[in-house]
Formats: sequence, C-alpha cells, structure tokens
Amino acid sequence: MTATQPDLGTWVGKGIDRVEGPHKVTGTAPYASDVTLPGMLHAVVVTSTIAAGSIVKIDSSALLTLPGVRAVFTHENFPRLNTPTQVLFGEAPVVPMQDARIAFHGQEVALVVADTPQEATEAARLLEITYAAEPPLLDPAGQRRETLPSSPDTSRGDTDAGWAAADVRVGATYRTPENTNNPLGLMGCVAVWDGDHLEIHDSTQGTIALRTILAGMFGVPESGVRVRVPYLGGGFGAGLNQWPYKILAAGAARELGVPVKLMLTRPQMFRLVGHRPNSEHQVRLGAARDGGLTMIEHRATSLSSMDFPAVGLLTSGTPHLYDCANVATVERTVRLNRRYPTSMRAPGEAEGNWAVETAMDELAHELGMDPLDLRLRNLATERDPATGKPWSSNAVIECCRVGAELFGWSRRDPRPASTREGDLLIGQGMAACGFFAYMPMSQARVTIYADGTAAVRSAATDIGTGTYTIITQVAADLLGLHPQQVDFQLGDSDMPASAHSGGSGLASSLSNAVIDAVSHLRGELLALAGPDSPLHGLAPDDVVCRDGALCRRDDPSAREPIADLLAGSGLVELAADGRLRPPEGAARDMVHAAAYGARFVEVAIDPMIGRLRVRRVVTVTDGGRILNKKLARSQILGATVGGIGQALFEDTLTDPGTGRVANGTFGDYLVAVNADVPDVEVAFVGEPDRYTPSGTKGIGEIGLVGVAAAIGNAVFHATGRRARDLPITVDQLMM
Amino acid sequence: MRAFLYDRPTAVDEAVAAVAADPQAAFLAGGTTQVDLMKDGVWTPDRLVDITRLPLRGILVESQQLKVGALTTMEELAAEPVVAQRLAFVREALLHGASVQLRNMATIGGNLLQRTRCRYFRDPTVSACNRRSPDSGCAAVDNVARMHAILGVDERCIALHASDVAVPLIAVDASVLVNGPAGQRRIPLTEFWVRADEGPSIENVLGHGDLITEIDIPLLPQGWRSGYLKVRDRASYEFALTSAAVALQLDGDLIADIRIALGGVGSVPWRAREAEEMLRGTPVDPLRFEQAGRAVMASAFTVPGTAFKVDLAVRTLSRQLLTMTEAKR
Repeated sequence: MTATQPDLGTWVGKGIDRVEGPHKVTGTAPYASDVTLPGMLHAVVVTSTIAAGSIVKIDSSALLTLPGVRAVFTHENFPRLNTPTQVLFGEAPVVPMQDARIAFHGQEVALVVADTPQEATEAARLLEITYAAEPPLLDPAGQRRETLPSSPDTSRGDTDAGWAAADVRVGATYRTPENTNNPLGLMGCVAVWDGDHLEIHDSTQGTIALRTILAGMFGVPESGVRVRVPYLGGGFGAGLNQWPYKILAAGAARELGVPVKLMLTRPQMFRLVGHRPNSEHQVRLGAARDGGLTMIEHRATSLSSMDFPAVGLLTSGTPHLYDCANVATVERTVRLNRRYPTSMRAPGEAEGNWAVETAMDELAHELGMDPLDLRLRNLATERDPATGKPWSSNAVIECCRVGAELFGWSRRDPRPASTREGDLLIGQGMAACGFFAYMPMSQARVTIYADGTAAVRSAATDIGTGTYTIITQVAADLLGLHPQQVDFQLGDSDMPASAHSGGSGLASSLSNAVIDAVSHLRGELLALAGPDSPLHGLAPDDVVCRDGALCRRDDPSAREPIADLLAGSGLVELAADGRLRPPEGAARDMVHAAAYGARFVEVAIDPMIGRLRVRRVVTVTDGGRILNKKLARSQILGATVGGIGQALFEDTLTDPGTGRVANGTFGDYLVAVNADVPDVEVAFVGEPDRYTPSGTKGIGEIGLVGVAAAIGNAVFHATGRRARDLPITVDQLMM
Repeated sequence: MRAFLYDRPTAVDEAVAAVAADPQAAFLAGGTTQVDLMKDGVWTPDRLVDITRLPLRGILVESQQLKVGALTTMEELAAEPVVAQRLAFVREALLHGASVQLRNMATIGGNLLQRTRCRYFRDPTVSACNRRSPDSGCAAVDNVARMHAILGVDERCIALHASDVAVPLIAVDASVLVNGPAGQRRIPLTEFWVRADEGPSIENVLGHGDLITEIDIPLLPQGWRSGYLKVRDRASYEFALTSAAVALQLDGDLIADIRIALGGVGSVPWRAREAEEMLRGTPVDPLRFEQAGRAVMASAFTVPGTAFKVDLAVRTLSRQLLTMTEAKR
C-alpha cells in the first residue's frame, strides 16, 4: 500500500451534512431505548446505600406480591457467571451480584423485573435491604488499602541536575475534581436469548468487546452473541467499559426466558457507568534565563474503585510535548470505596495538561517571558523527545502561531491585572496541547453491487461524532461514487470486527481498513478482467474506480464498467475485506503522532461578586487530514464546551462520610449551558499525517485539552491570582 | 413513582373540599416541583387534586396594586407591561428564575410553595433530614453544602428557599389570599414562610386544604426604581448563590426610601429590614452599603461549604446598591 492514499479529496474534506441526520431529526433512528420486543419485561437496578460492608438480608419476597412484579434478582439467586475475558479497553467488568460484599455506595445489589418500568421502579423503591456496614475508605489522604501504578513511570536525563542548573524554578500542586461523562442518552439495553444465542441492543461504544465479554461470561461461543448498536446517544467514554447493568439484563433475560429491557436513570448514570476520577499533580519546572527548559517533573495521583484498575494517563503527554533533556513522570492510583472510574473525553490528558500548562504559565511569569514565546522556545516539533525518532507529523508550532494571529495575542499587555473595563478585569491566557496516538485494529467489508451502488460494513459504532458520514465520504472517493450511492452500515457485531469509538482512534483505524478493503476489491475486480481487457495484468494500485468503471490510474480511457466485470462472471455483487495494516516504509521509523493544538481564551471577571465569563475562544488544531470540515469543527466546538465545563463548573461531589454522590442530577451537577459559551473560533492547521494512508489524526478529544489551562491562565492574567484547583468558582474569584 | 388518584375539579370550593377530606391529598398546579419530588420518591401523595382548571388565572391591574391569580404563569406575569414599568425587579427575578419552558408551566402560587432544592432532602436514601422526617438529623450540615441557606437556619436544617421572584415580592410587601376549609384569609408574605430555625419540618403557615388563590402585589410608587441582581456559578439555568432585590427612591443624593430583600441566603425569602433602616434617609455612601449588608449577615449560621456566602451576599447587595445609585449620581 502506498504511504499516502491518493484518491481522497473529492468528497473527503467537504463539510457535507450527516448522512444519518434525517433519521435523527425525524426520530426514526433506533436507539437501544427505542427497542421494544414482544413479551419484553422491564428491569430496574437497586443500588447500595452503604459504601463498604455486606448485605445481611434482602427481603425480596414481599415485592413479588406487588402488581406486575415478575422477579427480583439478588446475589442469592442471580446466576453465577464465568470470570470475564480481558478485552481491549480491558477494564473487565466486575461481575455483579455474585456475593454479599459491598465495595462502594451505589453498587448494584438487586434487579427488580416487572411488566412495566413504572411497576419495576415502584417495587425497587420499596425493597428493604439490611446491611452490615464497615467503615469505608473514602479519604485519598487517609488510610489506603492499595496503591497501583497507573501509566508507566518515565525518566530521561537527570531531573535533579536540571533543577540545580535552572535559573528559574516553579513547583506547585494542582488538583482536578471528579467529572461525570453524562452523555445525553441514558444508557441501557434490551437482551433476548434464543436458546444459547444472545442478542443485545445496547449503548456500548464497542460492540465486539461486549460480544467477547458476554460470550465468555455466559459460556457460549462468540458467534452466539450479537450486539446491536446502530445509534448511541453519546458516551464521552462512558460506553467503553462493559458495565454490570448489561450483564444483569442478559442474566435476567436468560433466567426468565423473555426479553428484558434495562434503562439507567440519570442519577444512576452518575454511579454505574464511570467518571473522570479526581487527580492531584505535583509539577516542578526549571528553566534557563532564556526560557529553555532544564527539567520537567510531573508526579500525579488519581483514584479508583476497590475492584477496579486505574484509568491513568495523567502523565502520558508530559514526556512528549516539550524538548527537554531531563524529564521524570510518576503516576499512582489509590483504591478507595468509590464508584468505578473510566475514560472521559481526553482521559488523563485533560487533567495532566491542566497541571503542566498552568505550571508553564507560572514559569513564564517568573521568567518575565511571554507565555506564547515560552512554548515556541520549547515545543518539540521535529522529533519525539522521549525516543529521538521523527514525528509522523507535528504542527503544534503552527497551532500556536495561527492561534496567536487569529486571537490578536501580540496586543496583550503582559502585566497581570493590567486591563480593566468598568467593573471588569480582563485577562487573556493560552495553552499548548497534544494528545496521545491510539489506533486499535478495525476491519471493514466493502461490497459493490451490479446496480453501481456499494455498501461498507463494520461493527464500529458512531458515538455521535460522524463516523457514518466520514466513512461514507472515504468510501465514495475510493469507489468513485456519490455519497448517496454508498450505504455504510455499522453497529452490529456480526459485521467485520472493529475498534470501539474511543481514544480518538476510530476515524484513522476504520478509514484505513476501508482503504485496504477497496484495494483488495480492486484486486478482485482486476481478477475478473479477461486477457482482452485493457486492464489485464495490472496491480490494484494501478487502477482507480471512476464513474462506475475500473480505470487505469495513468490513463482513465482504459476502463471496464464494473457492472460488465460482474456480469461477465455471473456475479451480482463482489465484496472484499480490509483491515488496518502496520505502517510501511519510512513510517516504520516514525513516532505515530496524534493531534496537537493551541488554545487562546479571554475572560472577564467581576472581582466584587466573583463572576467570570469566558468572552472569546480561539482554538487551533492539527488534526492531520480532515475528513469532514463541518463535523470536525463540531467536534472541536463540543470539546471546547466540555473544556469550559471542566474549568468552571463540573464537579461530582462525594459525601465524605458515606461515599454517596452528593450532586448526581442535572440540576445539581453543572455543565456549561449556552449562555456560558461565547463565540468560538475554530481553525485547523497541518498536513496529512505520514503514519497511515488515510493521513488522519483523531480529533474527538484534543479539542478539550488545553481549554482549562488557557482559562486558568487568563484568570491569572486578569487578576494576578493563580488558580490551581478546578473548577474555578465564584468563591475563588471574589477579590 | 407509585400509583395515586387524580381529580380535576373546576371550582375552588370543590378543590379545597377534596384536599381537606383526605389527609394524603395535595393540590397540583404546574407540577414543576411536585412531579420531580414524586419521581425522586420523596413525596408520595395518595391523591392529587389538579387545580389547573380553576378560574384563578389572570392579572387585574388596579391603581395601587396587581391582583394576580394564583395560576398565572411566571411567563405571563413577566410579560405584563405594568410589571415592567412599576415592578422592574419582579420581572428581572422572573426572567432570571427559570428557563422559558419552566416559566410557561410554573405558576406564581406554586412558585411561592416550591420545596427546597437540598439534595439531602430530595434523596429518600438519605435518612437524616429534619425537614422530611422530624428529629432525624441533617445530612447537609455534615456533608456537601453550597446551595444552602445561612440565614434563618441552624444545625438542625440549612435548607434554602430558592425562589427568585419571592425575593422582590417580599420586598414590596406582597400578600396572598388563601381559601381553606375555614374560609378565606389574607396573609402578608412577610408572615407566610416559617424559618428553618423555628421548626425545620414546617415550611409555611398554610394548613391542610389551604389553597392560595391570589397574590396581591403593591406597585412601587412613581419615582421609585428597582432591580434584581442574581449571582450564580453559571450564566443561566441555576439557582442563586446570592441575590439582592432593591427598590429605592432617591432625593438628590439621599436615599429617601428603600426596600431590600435577599435571595440564596435564607431558609425563607429574606427581607433585610436592618439594611433598609440603616440606609433610609442617608446619603449615598458605598461604605454604608457594605455596613448595611454586614448587619443583615450578623446572624448568619454557616458550614464550611457556605461560609463564602456571607461575604458574597454583602457584596451582591453592595453592587446592586451601587448600580442603582451611581446611575443617579
């Protein structure tokens, strides 16, 4: 395969509307919550009201006399299941209701199944449970049961020497709170068994991972489990793990022999499908008088649940962004009696960048240097400083320069608290950012039909980012078709296996799988060309699909209509599979680069009443080849809103004594609303990435990274007061 | 949600009789508080008497006051031109008080009766709540408090009355007409609510079967101006951390007369009479504004999560006074 696919550019890049948009706006797109099957019962999860200890007694018999109640499952009668198989995103679920032990407040302890959701909900409310409570471990600074390494420790050079050699040093502690993913779509599923065959309609981001786990747990072959997710109402990572609720629904459906539907409530979405865990960061930076970094040290701690692994990634970006000889990162996770964490949009990076980019701003201030100049002086653009190998692409400097130009950074008075407008203090801040490259395996099947249309099939999911649309555009270009002639079907584990929609990895993974599949399809079509054909004997890369024909790339007049090729062999369709291939040629010696960015923010603060408003955001991203400029812009806009929420509002609170979520509703957990979001200027820079033929870099998460630090740095510039703990709230800003 | 009976009478007497006859019955109007409470399992009435068909909707404009039917929606009151002209701070509080969807559902009578937003009150799995279950304790005092009250509270309960519009209404001495089993009576809003530190489980002076039928709102005299400042964490769709409703009449550099109430701070909408007295008849003086605010806060009871509100409330009042007097200077 060629290093860069040459056939992308007719439809790829264009900001076409979402191909599934009409289904969504007319309410005909079927989400898991819309699935209704004959004889289906409704299940409601009951959760624990203690954080540690065990269940002494559950009086479920009383519920069975209530109207409509069909069954109550507890640890006493829920089936014993096999230990889950480890999968990619391998936080294998904790098998629910296998024993009486309680490990966190809000843990699944019973499942009530009834004819209607209302009957199940009311019965669940009345279920009486007696616990033997034990003192929970809830304080990260208190007694610790276990500390796990998270991301691998890294070290290069000698940070002590770098610290000693520095002319200017900064060091501080930064904290981020728990955030909850909160996709708008409530998660849930419908499970139905036919003998030993399970079909589950779910809101997972990864159909294949769920298939593998359920097959293993229930002891059936993978071919006997089908996962259907044609649509899901967002996820922000909450759909990556295969949470216990799905296992409960599948188990209940099997025991009862009927379809079972289980929808979580909004408060349960704060407890049962993960969150971004709290983090604490100690960052030390040293620099020479000219701004050159002499050392970076980043030590971070996060939290997890008792029976759960670490999410990690807090320090993952730190060794790679800046060209510095002496760098050390250390990261640990403390296990407490708290609910399960998970990846939330830009996991780890969003928090680690907050710490390091705030520290960089502190360093710039101590140096008396413009924060932008400090970045430009140190950003590692040619080679990955951790390995010394060349980046497959890196336009972070261009992100900074273009952003500064669009923002008007050069007009900024560098002195803190220097700009007033009436009662308001005005501040401008910036941050640079990168995101780790992640590209798990995907496969796709491309089928071309005698009528000139085509289908692409893959078990991938479209989390709402636009996967349906961008893959349609890629296939249209490769097949020489109009997007309306390409039907991309996804969200079904019976289709070729695909990566989950997560880690900003799917667009690259799947687009390259489609490129590979179409290459194979050209080979299959060439094989149909007889000895008299002008295409006879050519290789797949020598031909292209154009206007319903296979043509010589260097002489399009040498062509065979595809319909004729198929008919000549008695075929009505022809399919070929493809998958993500390892890098070839020079790319093998490169470091796979992910997206980069620079964020510029202006805030206005009324110090008398602590009121902060974000007035302006300029966000510039190096996303490699942009497959759809409209959808790409939407990704960055949405992530910017998430970044504003991280900076100013989002804070899942836990009762210190009980471990209960203290604000688990949309009325109490604040996210940014329209009035909090100013005009956001989105720009893209950079070139197609050299690591894969598609040239893409994932942009689902990078847009969130750096927003919080840019806002915090703008707060310092406005007021002279440094914010190191998120969210930055009214009480921190009263002056 | 558990099953309940549902009635929809068309006459006030009928509605009052239906609720009075059943100790587990309650009135239902816009439902923007009650339905939430029922979904949360905190409030489980056996019978709901829907009053939305009663003839209690509409605004009668008189020379000195508005007579507002209890079923008038927040949006309808905000849209009344006389409110914009003579009660600007009522309009501002209504518009800042809820999204347009809620304003179209929520009634003025129901707004005054809204229950506290305290998450401990609203979570039935929390057993310690003196407001819900007398003598069970207060989980909010020991846990995560922010959207809680600092005035009219003590360690037994720190529940906040979160209404915005009730703040200017109590400042202008509005009153409610109540029809109950014992007939009709008028209650000034200043005597309507019961402070949490006077009994956390009792929220107002209404008895079972009492129905608010009308809210009478005195118009501010000509020459007065008014304004409402709401401080909150995000720009919209949130209850107040602190708010200040101020109406005043300036005479040159003197504050001839003034009405002040504070929101976001009290277990009841808080009329700040100490501040009014300190400022009435005095020259415009920012230092005095702050002293007036401090006087109101002298009795504040705080927990770690609410301690910042003392200062914020003083600043909120000062800022609103500055805004309304600087424009005149």
